[in-house]
Amino acid sequence: MRRFHDSNPAAVALYYLCVTGVTMFSVNPVIISISLLASVLNYCLYAEGGVKPHVFSAVLLIVLTAVNPLVNHNGMTVLFYLNDRPITAEACIYGLVTAGTVVASLYWIRLFTKAMTSDRLLYLFGRLSPKLSLILSMSIRYVELLRGRWRRIRDTQRALGLYDDGNPIDALKGSARVLSILITWAIENGIITAESMEARGYGTGRRMSFRMFRFRSSDAILVIVFIALTALGVIGIGAAKIVYYPAIGMDLTEPVSIAGYGGFAVLSILPVIINTKEAVRWRYLRSAV
Amino acid sequence: MALFEISGLSFRYPKSEAYALKDVDIVIGQGDFVTLVGPTGSGKSTLLRLLKPEMQFNGEIGGKIRFDGKPLHTLDARESAARISFVAQSPEEQIVTDKVWHELAFTAENLGMKQSEIARRVAETAAYFGIAPWYRQATAQLSGGQKQLLNLASVMVGEPDVLILDEPTAQLDPITAARFIDTLYKLNRETGVTVVISEHRAEELIPLCDRMIVLDKGCVVYDDAPRDIADRLDKSSPYLPYLPQAARMFIESGKAGRCPLSVREGRRIFGGTQTNESKTARRSEDDRTAALEIMDVFFRYEKDAPDVLSGLSATVYAGEIFAVLGANGCGKSTAAAVIAGLKKPYSGKVKLFGRALKEYKNGSLYKENVSLLPQDAESVFLRASVKEELEGCEEVLAKLPFDLSPLFSRHPYDISGGERQLVALCRALKSKPRLLILDEPSKGLDPVSKRRLAELLIQLKNSGVTVLMVSHDVEFAAVCADRCALFFDGAIAACEETDGFMNGNRYYTTAAVRILRGRHEGAVVG
Amino acid sequence: MTVIENRRVRSVMRFGIPLVLIPALVVTGAAVFGEKRYLLISLGVAMLALALFAAGIEKKNIGSRRMVIVAVMTAMAVIGRFIPLFKPITALCVMTAMYLGAEAGFLCGALSVLVSNIYFGQGPWTPFQMLGFGLIGLFAGYLSLPLLKSRVLLIGYGVLAGIAYSMLMDVWTVLWYNGSFDGTLYLTAIVSALPYTALYAVSNVGFLLLMRKPMGDKLGRIKLKYGV
Ligand SMILES: Nc1ncnc2c1ncn2[C@@H]1O[C@H](COP(=O)(O)OP(=O)(O)OP(=O)(O)O)[C@@H](O)[C@H]1O
Ligand SMILES: Nc1ncnc2c1ncn2[C@@H]1O[C@H](COP(=O)(O)OP(=O)(O)OP(=O)(O)O)[C@@H](O)[C@H]1O
Ligand SMILES: [Mg+2]
Ligand SMILES: [Mg+2]
Repeated sequence: MRRFHDSNPAAVALYYLCVTGVTMFSVNPVIISISLLASVLNYCLYAEGGVKPHVFSAVLLIVLTAVNPLVNHNGMTVLFYLNDRPITAEACIYGLVTAGTVVASLYWIRLFTKAMTSDRLLYLFGRLSPKLSLILSMSIRYVELLRGRWRRIRDTQRALGLYDDGNPIDALKGSARVLSILITWAIENGIITAESMEARGYGTGRRMSFRMFRFRSSDAILVIVFIALTALGVIGIGAAKIVYYPAIGMDLTEPVSIAGYGGFAVLSILPVIINTKEAVRWRYLRSAV
Repeated sequence: MALFEISGLSFRYPKSEAYALKDVDIVIGQGDFVTLVGPTGSGKSTLLRLLKPEMQFNGEIGGKIRFDGKPLHTLDARESAARISFVAQSPEEQIVTDKVWHELAFTAENLGMKQSEIARRVAETAAYFGIAPWYRQATAQLSGGQKQLLNLASVMVGEPDVLILDEPTAQLDPITAARFIDTLYKLNRETGVTVVISEHRAEELIPLCDRMIVLDKGCVVYDDAPRDIADRLDKSSPYLPYLPQAARMFIESGKAGRCPLSVREGRRIFGGTQTNESKTARRSEDDRTAALEIMDVFFRYEKDAPDVLSGLSATVYAGEIFAVLGANGCGKSTAAAVIAGLKKPYSGKVKLFGRALKEYKNGSLYKENVSLLPQDAESVFLRASVKEELEGCEEVLAKLPFDLSPLFSRHPYDISGGERQLVALCRALKSKPRLLILDEPSKGLDPVSKRRLAELLIQLKNSGVTVLMVSHDVEFAAVCADRCALFFDGAIAACEETDGFMNGNRYYTTAAVRILRGRHEGAVVG
Repeated sequence: MTVIENRRVRSVMRFGIPLVLIPALVVTGAAVFGEKRYLLISLGVAMLALALFAAGIEKKNIGSRRMVIVAVMTAMAVIGRFIPLFKPITALCVMTAMYLGAEAGFLCGALSVLVSNIYFGQGPWTPFQMLGFGLIGLFAGYLSLPLLKSRVLLIGYGVLAGIAYSMLMDVWTVLWYNGSFDGTLYLTAIVSALPYTALYAVSNVGFLLLMRKPMGDKLGRIKLKYGV
């Protein structure tokens, strides 16, 4: 079963680039609503993380909505005065739309982070620059290695009676000592790694980058679909006329715009569509076995 | 056909007077399987590194090394990388990338091979070494044995002519180590790759290799087929410890005929031999006081990770040496850390000298009660020289059967692995512990140093210190431990007096026992 | 990836990109495009700058030892980002740059952001942060001689780096929220970020002073022993 996120990392990255891009650069309330709903749906389905992120998002939405009318006093419809400054309905609505943009983008970005595991990230970088991708790969490995090593050194130093827990000054001194050993260890052992690299021919000529992810025809189709739907969405956004200041004026119902909303809606729930299709096909295949 | 022709080779490290290698003449043929043995500091690593241009140290080289008919230094970097491979001691630090598949592809990537070629070689190698099941894992998650196998596999992707290995099994448990050596042997037979290897644990290796080279103080002492060398050695030879158990028993017994090398050959000759009685008399359980009581301890690293210790129970008596053996990654070091109070078990209790661990307040646990020598001695060192490191250890140094003073001026990272181990031990003894926990104390030591370390431990025991030791080295445990335990599946599966333990086991036991099995009880170290 | 062969061109690029090209593009972007496209432009500029740096580094022959040490320092900086409040990332980049050169400094800064954001969340802010820390490392590398000599300069650099980085990120915050640059919002952002900026500058200086001697010894020793 090939789920959406098993597609080529380049395609997955492009997807998030498209949805996040359209979301971030649009002030169209319809697009933002679609984006927000779809991103939350995707998030709940593929990045389960309890209620905490949603609570955070809700708070953020409220705060960001409130900020705009407080600093921006454009607009004709004055609701009330705060410290002699007018609070306008236009600023409030614009605030709500921008807040929606930020929150929806945040959801997309979180989904992107979840999808871009280190080896996918490396795949993308490997195509750009083999050397950078190697340094990146080593850094990622060292992060885990050094964290484990930190714990082991701390334990050793404690068992030798050097790391007194008790008063904070001692603890701080102990941490500094552990850090010092850790750095010595990391650098000295890094040299062994470097030797191992040289022994295996690193730096002797042009370096290739082995790619674990193949670019299949299905990935190509996906990319074409992304681009087409994004283009449709952008054209639709372009056709809609929206002014927030001084008074709100919107013309959201051009046929082109409606087509654009449809295109973007499909784009933003594409993972759900593909995964459902695959799940159904899988069930069918299994019952056929 | 000769692959390496070494003539009149000498080497001296910068700023040092003595030559690390003197007048070495060796010819290594295509497809040979050569084992290098010798005491610590005899120049094995130096010699092996000289055979691989990228690994050579700075220093003064004399003499000639020819590779495949041409001087070695004229070999271009690419050819050297492709044709000569090197695997060193530490499994961890040789790994460059974060994923197994990437590590496998690394050599091929560097040599600029085509995608399809890389894919073919990686697939073939992964299949041959049985890596496929963990092909997509992060390298950080592998066990020590898997890491070392990955190192070997990843250099084999380059399809080299020569494989040079410097103590590749130093960190592996006996069974994994034997399997690793079998893989080498198979590679040598099936692909014709030339193997040059240095090892302290030659038990499994010597019977398999075609040639054995004995180095001492930078000179070649013997260079011949192992059996021929064994035939020439007598009882008093200082190189006897480098031969396998069967050969040692044979030479010591003064029998005539061809010298046996493997356990199988040893059994043919020594079957039915009677030797004297068990050397340690069994003491009764109840007249001993417990130094350490571990009661039903459960531990795991993360909430939803599997248990590493599950129901571990054991008692270590005051004034004994207790050895724990077991496979790589089975949780021995974790157990040591829990016993030393460094990790908190989620269930169960550890009592030290009759008091629970948490009753030792304000670090009093680590002052004169417990000391732990960790598996990686490097995590002990925090100063820029051995002398500073050992400040305040004069008393300990005086009692030591080793002389560490020549090392004083060096940086702890500039001394050999064996020496590092000793300096760290000295540091661990500084607090005059009543319970000493040692994690792999004998790693990297040659047979002679090992014997002296065993003597030191016994001397400590006689002065009243309880020693708990975790080790892969069955022979070492057999020499010095009073009781041995086999760690398996998070708990101790078997625990007995050393003699009974060794005689009861089939794999986790000394070569002497395997040779004499079933014929008599009692000979553990031959 | 395009590769720049000519050394003169490369060295012009080295100074040209950070000092001239980026500000110029940002200013024209502001003048020519209105509304949200401004954000797009600045994002494009940041990515472009990073790509150009990557091209330069790809071409350059960095020894494998230097590379490994850069990777180690990057990993240390990443771990450092897990420390609450006080982040040693600037100090580590600066130390790396001082001992191993400007490129190493840039790499350490940019990559530590990229790697740590695997844990903290990637996003459109990633290129900005990468550029910010990369430049801190880059300039520390160019100034390595005076910084190695004078402690006062080092402190100054730490404070400056803290303020400059904070202000750069505030620009981004405003852009993202508002779509275009807005003076009032920017001021609000700067003021509300003031405690963080101060904390940031303080921790930069603290870590730099703490690490100067021991890190210097260690990196110096490695340079001697292995000729990095
Ligand atoms: N970097 C160095 N600088 C100076 N002397 C060194 C260095 N490395 C090794 N030596 C010395 O060279 C000699 C040979 O060392 P080498 O590491 O080759 O021994 P070895 O046979 O591999 O020992 P072991 O069995 O412990 O690995 C020793 O006397 C050692 O002290
Ligand atoms: N810090 C850690 N976090 C998570 N898991 C760990 C950690 N340290 C060890 N483990 C896991 O716990 C298990 C036991 O590890 P441990 O180091 O105790 O084994 P060991 O018996 O000492 O192995 P070896 O003989 O190779 O030293 C292993 O599976 C290992 O992967
Ligand atoms: Mg050696
Ligand atoms: Mg262990």
